[in-house]
Amino acid sequence: MNAIYDVVIIGGGMSGMMAAAALAKNGRKVAVISKGDPVCCFSTGCIDLLADGDDPLKGIASLPDNHPYHLVGEDAIAHSLDLFQGIMSEGGMPYVGDVHANRRVLTSLGRCKSTCLVPETMEFSDFDSDEYIHVISFYKMKDFYPQYITSRYTNAGYSVFDPGVITTAGIAEKFENRPFLEAFISWVQGLDIPEGRIAMPAVLGRNLVGDVYHQISAGCGRKIFEIPTLPPSMPGLRLFGGLKKALLQKGVNLYWGKGIYSVEKLGNRIEAVTLASSGRATRVEGRAFILATGSFVSGGLQASMDTVTETVFDLPAYLPGARETWFNDDFFAAGHEIEKAGIRVDSSFRPVDTEIENLYVCGSILAFSEVMKYRCGHGMAIATGVAAANACGGLV
Amino acid sequence: MGFDFQHCIRCTVCVANCPVFKVDPAFPGPKQSGPDAERFRSDDEASIDRWVRLCSQCKRCDVACPYSVHPAQIILREQTRYGEGHFRPLPYRLFANTYWLGALGSLIAPVINILTPRTFVKRVLNVFGISTSIPFPQYRFHSMNRSWRWKGRRRSRKKVVFFYGCFINYNRPDIGRGVRDLLASLGVRVVIPRQVCCGLPALGNGDMETARKFARKNARILAGYIDKGYEVVYTCTSCGLSLTQDYPGILGVPDGKKISENTYNLHEYILELMEEGYIEPTFEPLHRKIAYHIPCHLRALGIGYPAARLFEKIPGLEVHILEDNCCGLAGSYGFKKKHGETSAKLGSDAARAIKAIGPDIMMSDCGACKMQLGYFSGIPALDPSEILRQSLKVTDSGT
Repeated sequence: MNAIYDVVIIGGGMSGMMAAAALAKNGRKVAVISKGDPVCCFSTGCIDLLADGDDPLKGIASLPDNHPYHLVGEDAIAHSLDLFQGIMSEGGMPYVGDVHANRRVLTSLGRCKSTCLVPETMEFSDFDSDEYIHVISFYKMKDFYPQYITSRYTNAGYSVFDPGVITTAGIAEKFENRPFLEAFISWVQGLDIPEGRIAMPAVLGRNLVGDVYHQISAGCGRKIFEIPTLPPSMPGLRLFGGLKKALLQKGVNLYWGKGIYSVEKLGNRIEAVTLASSGRATRVEGRAFILATGSFVSGGLQASMDTVTETVFDLPAYLPGARETWFNDDFFAAGHEIEKAGIRVDSSFRPVDTEIENLYVCGSILAFSEVMKYRCGHGMAIATGVAAANACGGLV
Repeated sequence: MGFDFQHCIRCTVCVANCPVFKVDPAFPGPKQSGPDAERFRSDDEASIDRWVRLCSQCKRCDVACPYSVHPAQIILREQTRYGEGHFRPLPYRLFANTYWLGALGSLIAPVINILTPRTFVKRVLNVFGISTSIPFPQYRFHSMNRSWRWKGRRRSRKKVVFFYGCFINYNRPDIGRGVRDLLASLGVRVVIPRQVCCGLPALGNGDMETARKFARKNARILAGYIDKGYEVVYTCTSCGLSLTQDYPGILGVPDGKKISENTYNLHEYILELMEEGYIEPTFEPLHRKIAYHIPCHLRALGIGYPAARLFEKIPGLEVHILEDNCCGLAGSYGFKKKHGETSAKLGSDAARAIKAIGPDIMMSDCGACKMQLGYFSGIPALDPSEILRQSLKVTDSGT
């Protein structure tokens, strides 16, 4: 039987999707298998490269030697982010930002978070503290309270619009129909808002966000920006939707909603994986495999009382020490030891201490990535995803 | 089912994927009607969750859930429990029996096809809670069960039973006969035994008993063929989902597991024939731009998009895959007046996405999607097997 795919990617999160995009761009036949929608759907949609410091790319040099970023290198990280920005622009959801400068994004709690690339709807989120900010909130919208923001900034005010629905998804859907959008714009025009910027929770449409955003901006004649919300987070869903759309356009085959049931090996090579099913299992065969199943939250790693296991191939996982050393006493402290757990790889992203030859690993399942501590989640996923794709592109 | 719902971490990704939730504020969404409410349900108490009926069973939440909670399955169970304990209005009773409705429609096809577009008939249907916002499908007298029941060499190494489903049987038997001819042209022996509705419409309308009756009957027929070395092939993705997921699952049909293990999507089957080297078909070029609307139930099958993989081999064909929208009709869901508005909103959203591509034709594996989106987009809606037949130059035998 002929190998169907050049590369089979397990995990449909940021890292897996970026690896797929990079391979498909070079003409490889790629499949992505995912047991469900990834955690990037819950994210703010912002791409954190390295949150501390002003220049995230330069800051990478100061990370511990074993951090996966060092396997990629500064130039390749910058290139991978270019690739990402290109994909999102083609999909009509452009990202703005500079890999050499962190920027601030206002959150729904009124604090700012530091990040690198943001969707264009958050471009103006990095405002001067003396500038007037007007928050537009929605009547009884769940989990968004403009007072959190206005109480932190003296030069701020808010108005409330009644869209007739109270959920993020419901309001976003409403914005995609023209009469609603026009009624909203004329309502804003009638408000007599002082000179300054207008902020809104991130509900400005889902698939048609570009149109909605530009029309509101033009209609109001102000700088407008979105504030990321709690899940379901529209910017996170747009990010996922945009990448998935790009993959489909590039001819990548998606197998969604089923986990891996079994792995077929021949000698030191993985031949195929079969998907969990109530009946006959679907078999997906490939010449190389990329593991991008994420860390504990996504189910790529699983912890028992005394050990950590990798859930698909049962690869040897690095463990930071005995269980009593896994956690810091201060829950909110930056970095618990357990975040270092994961799969150790060599310079070409192949797992160490295993005989398997055609397997590559990327994303937050990598050991020593500590994405919570360094706040580098999406950036690391993109950089290692593209790097793993390039590493295995030479093999197939 | 057991305690799968306990795995829910309340991430809301199911809610973000729910088409009904998006447009109907009355539906609390898959999280609340599924795992959340499940905690308070007991087999000893009657079902009171009226709003479970608002779920269209598109199963997008099942596909999206990263923790294998299967909200749609939890809701489906509650829909049937609710159906058992409550009065089922006329549309529910009618659509649970799409099979008999189709049999009648097919028998008196010329009459019914003249009647359904009439204003006074529409008014009567509306009174009984049936929506007429999209035209009723036309019925055909020359149905699948009035067509040739076999084709292809008797001694062929590859033998299949074709499970055609109600829509093909009564409304589009030309597609079914085309599939039969296509498989035969690929050297496959096709038999089309007498069969009934897969049971999915009955299940979705809260009538477990009827669903089981249909399923048991089919299971007896199909299992008999499987024992003789046949495999089952379907084109309707909802029938396929029912055969592979509900037969061994919620319907608990004897031989359900056997059927599930031996059942193939048509395009998946053809791909496998090619991969095994049994056939090496020559694909003639087709210069067309196609918007391929992926039916929700094809997603739920978890087999990827086999038709799209086949189409990669057809030179000149430009296929755009659209998988983010539910057509909103969801079998009989959109034909109920109380869901009419939801269905129309979702239908026009999905049609807008199709039209944005500017295709020559749109395509979908599912009969309901074709009906709904063909109407809302005004673009001719084809079945993937029709495109395949054109490229492989399989002529229509017409019988």
